[in-house]
Amino acid sequence: MNRRDAVQRIALVLGAAVTPKVARAVEAGFTTPAPGLALRSLTRAQAELVATLCEHIIPATDTPGARAARVDAFIDALLADIFTAEERERFVASLADVDARARAAAGTTFLECATPQQVAILVGLERDAQSAGVGEAPFFPWLKELTLVGYYTSEVGATEELRYLHVAGRYDGDVPYEQVGRAYS
Amino acid sequence: MERKQVHIARPPEAYDAIVVGSGIAGGWAAKELCEHGLRTLVLERGGPVAHGTDYVTEHDPPWSFPHRGRLDPRLLDEHYFIQQRTGFLDETNLHFFFRDSESPYVEERPFTWVRGHQVGGKSLMWGRYTFRISDLDFVANAREGIGVDWPIRYADIEPWYTYVERFAGISGEPLGLSHLPDGAFQKPIPLNVVELDLRRRIEAEYPERRLTIARAAVLTEPLPGRQPCHYCGPCWRGCSTGSYFSSQSSTLPAAVATGNLTLRPLSVVHSIIYDERRDRATGVRVVDAETGETREYAAPLIFLCASTLGSTHVLLNSRSPRFPEGLGGSSDALGRNLMDHHFYAGAHGEVEGFRDRYAYGNRPVGFYIPRYRNISAETQMETFLRGYGIEGEAFRPSWGRGTELPGFGAGFKAQLRDPGPWQVWMTAFGETLPRPENRVRLDPERVDTFGIPQLRVHCTWGENELAMRKDMAASAAEMLERCRLRQVEPYDRYVEGALGAEPGLGIHEMGTARMGRDPRTSVLNAFNQVWDAPNVFVTDGACMVSSPCQNPSLTYMALTARAVDHAVAELKRGNL
Repeated sequence: MNRRDAVQRIALVLGAAVTPKVARAVEAGFTTPAPGLALRSLTRAQAELVATLCEHIIPATDTPGARAARVDAFIDALLADIFTAEERERFVASLADVDARARAAAGTTFLECATPQQVAILVGLERDAQSAGVGEAPFFPWLKELTLVGYYTSEVGATEELRYLHVAGRYDGDVPYEQVGRAYS
Repeated sequence: MERKQVHIARPPEAYDAIVVGSGIAGGWAAKELCEHGLRTLVLERGGPVAHGTDYVTEHDPPWSFPHRGRLDPRLLDEHYFIQQRTGFLDETNLHFFFRDSESPYVEERPFTWVRGHQVGGKSLMWGRYTFRISDLDFVANAREGIGVDWPIRYADIEPWYTYVERFAGISGEPLGLSHLPDGAFQKPIPLNVVELDLRRRIEAEYPERRLTIARAAVLTEPLPGRQPCHYCGPCWRGCSTGSYFSSQSSTLPAAVATGNLTLRPLSVVHSIIYDERRDRATGVRVVDAETGETREYAAPLIFLCASTLGSTHVLLNSRSPRFPEGLGGSSDALGRNLMDHHFYAGAHGEVEGFRDRYAYGNRPVGFYIPRYRNISAETQMETFLRGYGIEGEAFRPSWGRGTELPGFGAGFKAQLRDPGPWQVWMTAFGETLPRPENRVRLDPERVDTFGIPQLRVHCTWGENELAMRKDMAASAAEMLERCRLRQVEPYDRYVEGALGAEPGLGIHEMGTARMGRDPRTSVLNAFNQVWDAPNVFVTDGACMVSSPCQNPSLTYMALTARAVDHAVAELKRGNL
């Protein structure tokens, strides 16, 4: 659904009563600023590592994945504006730990590892998280949650991978799932 | 040459009526007073919010928010340390929440005071559920010997419920229950397929229980200047089509249309001015929120609609030689019997089947199970008085459940492409008994940024509430089990002395300036007039004598319209 479709749709929903304000609001929803290229917290190398890790969690398939959705930029924005200094340090240290694991396993950085090796490292991270004790905050579930939020609230994730209901216009509490075919974001 | 400062005492600006607060009650008072031809000044402590244009995030999609909703915890801790406990604040709606740092209060025990800081008050982000209270509720105190008797009965308020429902626009389903009276409803929003199945099962298992769509101030049919709901979802960002009742969509435009309304935002009411010679309130003192300057406004009629604790705060601070404990303080009832609905106890479970069914549209309300405890001899409970209603919803979780699923990669992504199995969530909202020890006072030392003494709040749940909570969780879980849901889990978020389900969190705070039949034990009479000053009316939640489990805002609307009708008649008779 593009912005014109959206405005037409809400016009249909509301009949002649659609106000310029509503139209503007609907259009504004589809005026997405281009993903910022300027990183504010991560270094270029760290951002590349984050993008690669996130892409392993939600890869491109028949729809784009986390990299195309710029989940790395979302995480960079959280690091810059939302995370505490302690969280920021822990996140960056966890990235260093990923590289340390790569060196131990393959003698090279994570990004230089072959794809199966990268996957094996992530499997190891997930396994370690499952055996983490109470009070520990393991890296993998944290990164996974950030990836899910960043991806499924992105335009790509919300509208291409899933179905996005911008202004439904009506409520139907019993529709055949096959008519929709995907979860609503 | 030095210019001589000359202070000229200006007479205060005069109006026919002053309304303090512009939320649900204040908006109604403004509309009714203006329509009766009274030149009315509405004073609002927060800033202006224009209908439509100031709903700045209304239809913005998630990707337009740089942090996808998340807020800086340092900002929350510094300025929203109370409001953030609701879990409602995010990047999309922060502008509608009160900055606690501006006017903090003292908590003797955990009490979460949620405030709407703008024109429209909490009517912009309220839950919109609207139910009538009944004679089961109006007689309960007298029958059980608790608190004082309500000075009114259902017959007194019934025509006013109908009056406000027609204007506000309430959608819902008539059920014919005497303890949850039907109203003037627009057609109901539909239940979904799983809720309809649950309704059949519940009604088969429990003849005294019903499941219905919540009655709500959400339009399914147009009203003048307002459109039916378009099911976009996040109501609390504001609704430019006026599909839910707010002061902006409904009452304030009606007041403006009369030409009699003056609205002054950023006007913090300090106190009511009382003239001992005339035995009447004569106006209000206001602190300008921007300049700190103090002003006075005069009127022969004053409506306090500043929210339960806001209105009582003004009364307590209206101290004079005649009323040293505050206006309305000649009985000890002022500030006492603070109530709320206790909630965050219930159950959830997973539904078998219906995997080929889905729902279209973001519905603004869920289902409601009317009170089924202590409504008859057969439903009498041994362990507690009164009862609770249950709010709930059946839904299929989307990608958010991914954090609880193991794995990653293409298979994981494919799994999240489909919604999860249907879930049912139930949360009960329970009545709390009035207890005089639950009270607010002025702190003897601390003041806010406007020099107004801070409120000091003491409120805890009593034995009746704690016993009721056990039943709320157990009964909801039992209902889901008997309806053959899987993985049923009861829950209760209350933690003694800590945050979780503490008083105030229900945002249904009530009492502290109760109505009654006797000036020695109540603050207001049967028409919401302050016994100490009959030209002052309090018509928000402060007036409540008990806290029936139904969501209370509709009752404030009806009581406000009724009180204005009485006030205008009394003015005409020369009694005010």
